Amino acid sequence: MDSTDLARLERRVRWAYERGRLRRALLGVAPVFVIVAVTACVAHQPMSTLWFGLATVSVGAAMLWYGRDPQKAVLPGIAAGLVPLVLALCANSMHSCGADGCSSLCVHACAVGGVVAGLAVASVGNQRRAGIWFWLSASSLTLLTGAMGCSCIGYSGVAGLGIGFAAGVVPGLLRTVFAKKTS
Amino acid sequence: MGTDPNTLDGLMARLADGDRTVFARVFELLWGPIHRLCVSLLKNDADASDAAQEAMHKILERASDYDKTRPAMPWAMALAAWECRTLARKRNRRREETDEPSNERGGEHPEEEFEQRDLTAAAVSALGELSDTDRETLVATFWDEAASVSGATLRKRRERALDRFRKTFRRLYGLD
Repeated sequence: MDSTDLARLERRVRWAYERGRLRRALLGVAPVFVIVAVTACVAHQPMSTLWFGLATVSVGAAMLWYGRDPQKAVLPGIAAGLVPLVLALCANSMHSCGADGCSSLCVHACAVGGVVAGLAVASVGNQRRAGIWFWLSASSLTLLTGAMGCSCIGYSGVAGLGIGFAAGVVPGLLRTVFAKKTS
Repeated sequence: MGTDPNTLDGLMARLADGDRTVFARVFELLWGPIHRLCVSLLKNDADASDAAQEAMHKILERASDYDKTRPAMPWAMALAAWECRTLARKRNRRREETDEPSNERGGEHPEEEFEQRDLTAAAVSALGELSDTDRETLVATFWDEAASVSGATLRKRRERALDRFRKTFRRLYGLD
């Protein structure tokens, strides 16, 4: 085979490599479809759950396809996001009623879940001494997964999740940044 | 695992991890041995080229599934040997159907060469019946490549693989 044929073969094989990665990525995010379907059945606002679910699946698949740090962030990101998701779904069916009427516990559950998820992501990131792409990827997936449940009372739930998550993850992130600067 | 990132094993591990910068180097390192294996198995340049291309396609399509604890070359060789076997089978079937005279590389003793090719195809076919580990061990032995284990374990594994290979060959063709 001459060099032109080899170059053509290399290009063809490169496509095959990318296709292989894509196939693997789609298989990898398949369990997320189950999570989205179950959440959509339970959630009060299935449409927003489906949109956030679709975003979670797409971003997760893209990260798995790309590989490297983002790929390693998929499992911890989604696992951490399950905490606010489950808490929000549980809070959906509960109300705290006082003299002024009833209020949903959704925002509180999302904020608490966000803190726990943030701490979990920070713990994994510190343990692995992960780079910035891991932190960004894991955080985005955690927020998207959690948002599937936290959109229960509109975007204030998602905001609660975001604030809680930031409160949980920032100390860990700062610890990593300063540890890197001092070493 | 403390694999040197610049060896084929290390480069394959990086490629499996999504590091596309090593793609060209992996392709370069694999192409030669794979092509030579296909030439030696198929005894025909055109067929060998086809099989090697198909094998490269399969190997790199599965690069993300590569097990970093195992050596890359025997894994790739096993996939290539399988591809050669598939192509040889396909060609044999077509030859049987058309019953046309072969216009492949002719030697002084075409009969002998034909027998040799059949024997090789039979061996590759029997190899295909074995487990991945056995196949990898035998291909590694054939190519004198480092297997994932060494010393007494490798000897034992090789013995067992050869034994199973003999049994499979006997079962398929009724002779040793």
